Amino acid sequence: MGLFLSAAVDGLVMGLVYALVSLGLGMIWGVMDIINFAHTEYVMLAMYATYFAWRGAHLDPLGALPGVVLLGFGAGVATYLVVIRRIMAASPVTQIFATFGLLLFLRYTAFAVFGPNFLGIRWPLAAGALVLAGVPVDRAKVYAALAGLATYGLLFSFLQRTKVGKALQATAQNPTAALALGIEVERMYMLAWGLSIATAAVAGVFLLPFYQVSPTVGDAFVLIAFASVVLGGFGTLFGPLVGGVAIGLIEGIAGTLIAPTFKLVFVFAAFLLALFLRPTGILGRDQA
Amino acid sequence: MTVLVAGVWGALLLLPAVVHDAYFLNGMILVLIYGSAAQAWNLLGGYGGQLSFGHAVFFGLGAYTSTLLFSRAGVSPWAGMWAGALVATGVSLVVGYPTFRLRRHYFALATLALAEVVRISFLNWPFVGAAVGLYLPVQLMNRPGTMMWSAKPPYYYLALALFGLACALALVVDRTRVGLYLRTIDQDEEAASALGIPGRRYKLLAMALSAAVTALAGTLFAQYVLYVDPSSVLDASRSVLFAVMALVGGRGTVVGPAVGAGFLTLLSQYAGGLLGGFGKGYDYVVYGVAIMLVAVYEPRGIVGLLDRFAPGRRRGVPGPAEPPEGEGARVPSSPVQGPRPARPLLRVEALWKRFGGLEALRDVSLEVRRGEIVGVLGPNGAGKSTLFDCVTGFLRPDGGSILLRSDGAERRLEGRPPAWIAQQGLARTFQMIRVFPGLTVWQNMLAGQEHRGESLADAFRPTPRAVRERLEGLLRLVGLWDQRDLAAGQLSYGQQKLLALAMALVRRPSVVLLDEPVAGVNPTMIQRLMEHIRLQNAEGVTFLIIEHNMDVLMELASRVYFMADGRVVAEGSPEAIQANDDVLALYYGR
Repeated sequence: MGLFLSAAVDGLVMGLVYALVSLGLGMIWGVMDIINFAHTEYVMLAMYATYFAWRGAHLDPLGALPGVVLLGFGAGVATYLVVIRRIMAASPVTQIFATFGLLLFLRYTAFAVFGPNFLGIRWPLAAGALVLAGVPVDRAKVYAALAGLATYGLLFSFLQRTKVGKALQATAQNPTAALALGIEVERMYMLAWGLSIATAAVAGVFLLPFYQVSPTVGDAFVLIAFASVVLGGFGTLFGPLVGGVAIGLIEGIAGTLIAPTFKLVFVFAAFLLALFLRPTGILGRDQA
Repeated sequence: MTVLVAGVWGALLLLPAVVHDAYFLNGMILVLIYGSAAQAWNLLGGYGGQLSFGHAVFFGLGAYTSTLLFSRAGVSPWAGMWAGALVATGVSLVVGYPTFRLRRHYFALATLALAEVVRISFLNWPFVGAAVGLYLPVQLMNRPGTMMWSAKPPYYYLALALFGLACALALVVDRTRVGLYLRTIDQDEEAASALGIPGRRYKLLAMALSAAVTALAGTLFAQYVLYVDPSSVLDASRSVLFAVMALVGGRGTVVGPAVGAGFLTLLSQYAGGLLGGFGKGYDYVVYGVAIMLVAVYEPRGIVGLLDRFAPGRRRGVPGPAEPPEGEGARVPSSPVQGPRPARPLLRVEALWKRFGGLEALRDVSLEVRRGEIVGVLGPNGAGKSTLFDCVTGFLRPDGGSILLRSDGAERRLEGRPPAWIAQQGLARTFQMIRVFPGLTVWQNMLAGQEHRGESLADAFRPTPRAVRERLEGLLRLVGLWDQRDLAAGQLSYGQQKLLALAMALVRRPSVVLLDEPVAGVNPTMIQRLMEHIRLQNAEGVTFLIIEHNMDVLMELASRVYFMADGRVVAEGSPEAIQANDDVLALYYGR
């Protein structure tokens, strides 16, 4: 029972981190119906940025956060302008391979520039463990989970409380109608990409204290991010949150109790099962 | 073109006799093995538009299966390679079956994930050698039946044979209905299913063939490098390589993957030389940029680029050879019809459909008798298109029944998939035209042929002469015969509507559902379309038509149902409907 509880608490905390990693992916999926296969590569880049801020400028993750998030926002807007805008009207197949090309480009550029080594940082503020429900949990993981919740909260209030946020929602629901209402759809798309990659940047900043970065770190998260979005249901803001927590729990509990080395297999099985049973996800709306 | 292809194959056959450089031969062997896998990838990703980012799994399964059988049980790789192909095919179907019924994103995701899961599992599985992998029994080298040689030429010829097999398979798919149907699925799967094409069947076929050939390539690779481990055969970079070769060369063509394999090998060698010394990974930076460029500027790849300079060539299912002048102008008439019994052919009873809180269809009942033209009239949002979508299987009704009389029996249609319903003799067109823009007019017509009772073996054979004659007759009738080799996307809007109508008629459906057949068409074209509908009706085709244009229905329809707010409000002759006070109030707001 103690083992189960600790697996569940750990799974829940990691689940919130996964929710943060998949937030931006689900957002672009919902707003523009484009699946960004390169999403977790931006998490990887943000981890490198955080690493170099720490090593070069002695900034701890909290110090690096504003800068990295800003860079992430810029990278998102740039990605939209350089690549995505040109494939909006293309066939779905073309869209898939374009973002897959982006994945290759980002990953192997990182490989060429940073080399294959694993790099990590030490953050005294996040050292040690916190005790949650009688279970000790890595303090850095708890911070990352809190950052995830905070990001969801901020994004939610932005979308609900501000005019721009509502315009963004309108664009997601019907870009033509939004255009007719005088919403600058093009700008909304830039904003969506900026926000999407900015959330990936938040994830990268808070992952680094407990997860070493390497050029292929995106691989470890890409399946989890997609599974979270699919499981939770795309087209809703909180879908990835629910899905991420579900994935974290599945991975934590099945992985700890059954076979740690095969935990990804359980995640994949859950993903396939979700596709079988409910392709629209837990919170997703039925599509015609 | 033929000369060029023959020349290339001749050169490939003679190569080892001329070139003895082992380094060069080594490169060629790898290009041929990867090229085979790229060609296999293309069957599914190119023709069917189902992108797999996990083909390394099938490559690895081929390599592991034959090697395990060889090293543990002494089974010759000549037999083991087929066992590997079988295993890979099995796995491919297990992944394809659930994901192919969903949008193609999911398939791409599932393959990406599968590759990672299999790699990690093999890395931790002692039976298959875990991270160390397996070595082939090299002490048996050069013995017959071991598929291991100390010289390069035998490997070269084996790789060449495999590449030949892959190209031949691609050619067969490209030239038969199998490839045509895969292309329709790639371009618009819903429209394909409305024609009765069973999409999942052809996707699974392409997947199975693709996995099998990739597995054969995997076995050959293991036999060549003499060991198997996760990083050599299951690595994500392998999956990427196969996909990128096909995408850059030109997906959905036979020569594309071959060109892509050759081009990328040269490119990576050149780029490697230019940028080398910084470590690995530059190849993949270049690949990434290459496929982004392809996506943005020329989704058809190098082959598409070449096509721009040499336009006018057609690919795929060949058009009709010699048009028998004047003969095809007559439309072969439909089967003998007796006096028209007023028996309902299509019955819709108490149909309900809800979208959340909105009731789009409320207790809708209607019937269509053999030989009638029935109209469905009503303001926007009345539920007309929802009705069509329920009848044709694109939406699942929440209640009620839909019955179609075919082969003397009444069959229930509700809840059945669109392709099955279409095969029962029900055809439809869409409000927004959905022809296959990238296929020629002739290929569009071919896609419309009868799919009921069409086996996979049939789909590998040429289209029967009788069917081709019917297609020709219909095309001449609607006046599109001269445009038969044009891409459907190049036709005018009105012509596309005519084509869609002709496609729906090819398989002599018992009922044709037309969703706003004349909307957005100029008056002359409206007259032509109405003429065709009347003519076909005289030939025995029954129509159910949604139309906003009341005049059109007044002229065509024998009976009209008036729908508003999800209900049938009135039913009767066009004149009676026009005179009905409720209808006037609802339609004109009077």
